[in-house]
Amino acid sequence: MSVEKQQALPLSFSGRMTSGHQAVNYLWILIVGFVILSWELATRLNLIPGSNMPMFSSVLGVFLTSVQQPAFLLRVAHSFINLIFGLVLAFSIALPTAFVAGSRNPFDVTLTPLVMLFGALPDLSFLPLLVLWLGPGDSAAIIMASVAAFFPIYFTVREGTRNIPRELFDVTTVFQSDHLSKFTKMVMPAISPSLFSGLRLAYDFDWEIVIAVEIVTKVSGIGNLIQGTVSGGSLTEGFAAILAIGILAVAVDRLFFGSLESWSRKWS
Amino acid sequence: MGAHVELDNVTKFFAGQEKQLHTLHEVSFGIDHGEFISIVGPSGCGKSTLLKIIAGLDFPSSGEVRVKGDTVRGPHSQISMVFQTFGLFPWRTVLENVEYGLEMRKTPKAERRTIARQYLEMVGLEGYEHMYPKQLSGGMKQRVGIARALTVDPEVVLMDEAFSAIDEVTAEVLREEVGAIHKQTGKTFVLVTHNLPEAIELADKVVVLSARPAKVKKIFHIDLSRPRDKAHSTFIHMHTDILHLLKEELESTLLRHKLRGLKEIQKLQDLEAD
Repeated sequence: MSVEKQQALPLSFSGRMTSGHQAVNYLWILIVGFVILSWELATRLNLIPGSNMPMFSSVLGVFLTSVQQPAFLLRVAHSFINLIFGLVLAFSIALPTAFVAGSRNPFDVTLTPLVMLFGALPDLSFLPLLVLWLGPGDSAAIIMASVAAFFPIYFTVREGTRNIPRELFDVTTVFQSDHLSKFTKMVMPAISPSLFSGLRLAYDFDWEIVIAVEIVTKVSGIGNLIQGTVSGGSLTEGFAAILAIGILAVAVDRLFFGSLESWSRKWS
Repeated sequence: MGAHVELDNVTKFFAGQEKQLHTLHEVSFGIDHGEFISIVGPSGCGKSTLLKIIAGLDFPSSGEVRVKGDTVRGPHSQISMVFQTFGLFPWRTVLENVEYGLEMRKTPKAERRTIARQYLEMVGLEGYEHMYPKQLSGGMKQRVGIARALTVDPEVVLMDEAFSAIDEVTAEVLREEVGAIHKQTGKTFVLVTHNLPEAIELADKVVVLSARPAKVKKIFHIDLSRPRDKAHSTFIHMHTDILHLLKEELESTLLRHKLRGLKEIQKLQDLEAD
């Protein structure tokens, strides 16, 4: 018995990292710093005309004052809330559909070709129709965001469900789990790594969609603000708004999806 | 009142694409309380299907399985199972995996923790409670599987090729421990295996199934004292006899396949002649 115990691999993910790897992990900061520095120098030395590109330092200045203004923050929040609504709507439809498709072949052969057919069309081509039906506003933005988020969630969850070993279903049956427990205690954790990837992709897609919809439909979010400031000639404000989106997008990605993934990395 | 577990004319057909696949044919035998039974047979004969039917994971096309006189109509609180590739939930720690059965029975958390720890100790895994399955070797994973099966205090423990996914040296140690657990707990064990020495080493009775559709070919009673010495002449004789029986089965299957092939060739030649 003791001989066998020595085969245990008590390695945690962080345990594998060495100081050399840690330096590599922070290389991206160096690259971002280099890009910012080049930007600042190129604009300061007038290699790029100021009418096309403001200096990074002035963008940062406007950004820092903007984030103290409630009106600016409300616009960011407006876009973000539309995006989250779209994501939640897509999630609540895609998850059960994909689970059924992944676990029962007769459904899959009917459902998946339809989803693929629909998914092959460029999402934004529906926008004029949605605007016609729903009017230019939040509903069009939310529906558009959910259409874009549906496909990555559907396909990753379907794949995740198909990859659940048959044996795990038998385990839940032998131990007399009810349907709810089978789903919450077995299926959901089993598909979670795939689901997290799907959600993360959907989230990234949705930022693009939400901004594009706002530019077209005049929803008073941050995309609309960018459109307004750039066409009004204030590039610095436009860039400050882009910076705000970038920081929010990266922060949510890192904090929310990053922590979900580090949970699944612990065991998978 | 009959045996603890009774298989009564268990027959199973699977719906194939062209025709039905006759897997089990009127399989009948009884298992006494506390007995250790091994089921062996040519590969693909349906022994795992038989085990699934006993577990209530699959249903016979006709016939039935009874546990203490009650017909098995689905998963049964008196029956637990150890799986071939362990069937552990990778997102649960060792302790949480072992607790699963009790959790499904709504046992309070503190109580199920205590029980799970007792069984982890029984299989020699104290100190590994908070590890994840991916951090364990195959042998240790199966110990978790065995502990999980025992925590629900079943009367019957089914083992589906439980040692086949583990390296031989580890499997050898684990077999001895399963033998000891059987003796200690007095539960009824049913092991499906393709490993003959394993079947003889552990069992009171070895049920030999025929090729598909599987029937009971013969039941061997192993009257050897435990722990069993594989070099003992009776052990070797028993092994030779069962192996001979299985080879016979295999040869008759091959012959049937060949004959079928010949018939196909004949048909083709007839067609060509037309």
